[in-house]
Amino acid sequence: MRHLLRTAIPMLLAVVAGGLMLVFVLREVAPHSWNGTAFAAPDPAPAFTGLSFDSGEPADLTRYEGKVVVVFFGYTSCPDVCPLTLSRVARAIEGLGDRGDEVQVLMVSVDPARDTLDVLGEYLRNFDERFVGVGGDMASVANMAASYGVFFEAQPPDDDGFYEVDHTSTLLGIDRQGNLKVIWNPDVEADPLRSDIEELLS
Amino acid sequence: MWFGGLLAGAALAFAILQPIKVLPRIRVAPGYAMTDQTGATFTSETSRGAVTLYSFAPLGCRSRCDDVVATLTAVQERVAAEVDLGDVDFRIVTIALADDPTAAALADAADAAGADGDGWIWIGGPLDRVRTVVGAGFRQYFDVTDGGAVEFDPGYTLVDGNGVVRGEYRYRTLADDAEKIVSQIVALGVELRHSTGAAGLAYEAAHLFSCYG
Repeated sequence: MRHLLRTAIPMLLAVVAGGLMLVFVLREVAPHSWNGTAFAAPDPAPAFTGLSFDSGEPADLTRYEGKVVVVFFGYTSCPDVCPLTLSRVARAIEGLGDRGDEVQVLMVSVDPARDTLDVLGEYLRNFDERFVGVGGDMASVANMAASYGVFFEAQPPDDDGFYEVDHTSTLLGIDRQGNLKVIWNPDVEADPLRSDIEELLS
Repeated sequence: MWFGGLLAGAALAFAILQPIKVLPRIRVAPGYAMTDQTGATFTSETSRGAVTLYSFAPLGCRSRCDDVVATLTAVQERVAAEVDLGDVDFRIVTIALADDPTAAALADAADAAGADGDGWIWIGGPLDRVRTVVGAGFRQYFDVTDGGAVEFDPGYTLVDGNGVVRGEYRYRTLADDAEKIVSQIVALGVELRHSTGAAGLAYEAAHLFSCYG
């Protein structure tokens, strides 16, 4: 009996230790389970040619080199999808704590006629002080949007002159090297989004 | 040390043996809004959720277009008969290489090709937009000469339901066009059916370890 215990206990401990080590190793080396569509060999993110940040400076992605950039196409008069999506993004960034400063969220307006740079900046700061708007003329926005797989089209105005803009509302994640790495569907929740952004930051 | 070697060996074995085949995620497909053969607006969002094979052709073209139409017809028939995409639809979209064609002109071209407007749709728009979408977005060569003739290099682009380009096929390469395209749609179907849970993780890993080619 004593002999059995002397043999069995170390074996049991070895099995437990081995199991713990396996779990640790798998956690460290297993591929991240993306909550969007990730590219294994991503291309450089298309440039923001002809557009401006809401500060009035020319929009240039290289300003955020070393940061993770999340890009969204929307507009300030958007009744539902845009505020809901931006709220979820804001919660995801908030969940990152101090590391949220290593992420830059940009919203490109698909409604140049109504969204002046001032309007854009004021709108976005309601979600997070760090969010930045990007605007420009219709042709520049259209070219840039197409290169990000985004379509948009203004709908006919109602009797009051109000119109909505149909648009792709995916979120696009650019890694620290400036590559377009991941695309999220607009209904991605804050926690899965935060998890993916953490992976981009790692 | 030993673990690094084991991992490298496993990655090498994965790359060589390819126990799971995946189509590469090449790049994001372009966004667009055009008009279809019924006169309705057709956008890149209309196709979201469906596997879409894009082709590109001038209106009223013969010779090479006959081959393209034959290939697309074969793909459409074989995908319907042989491919299981799970809950995901498959459709073909042909973008007309023309300047703002009317719905009637698109409908004529669609009729001539045998495109029913449901599983196979013809769309078109202003030439500037077509240039941006086809040339810059899908990276397919075409040009309109001063005399109005359209020069183009017939090709096909496979896009998944997330709007990501998964395959690009040149016209008449070594393998039969339809055979090559269908075999890749079969592989995409297997991936789509195994895209969740533990199997989904394995397929995600395959994207990391596979040597695309």
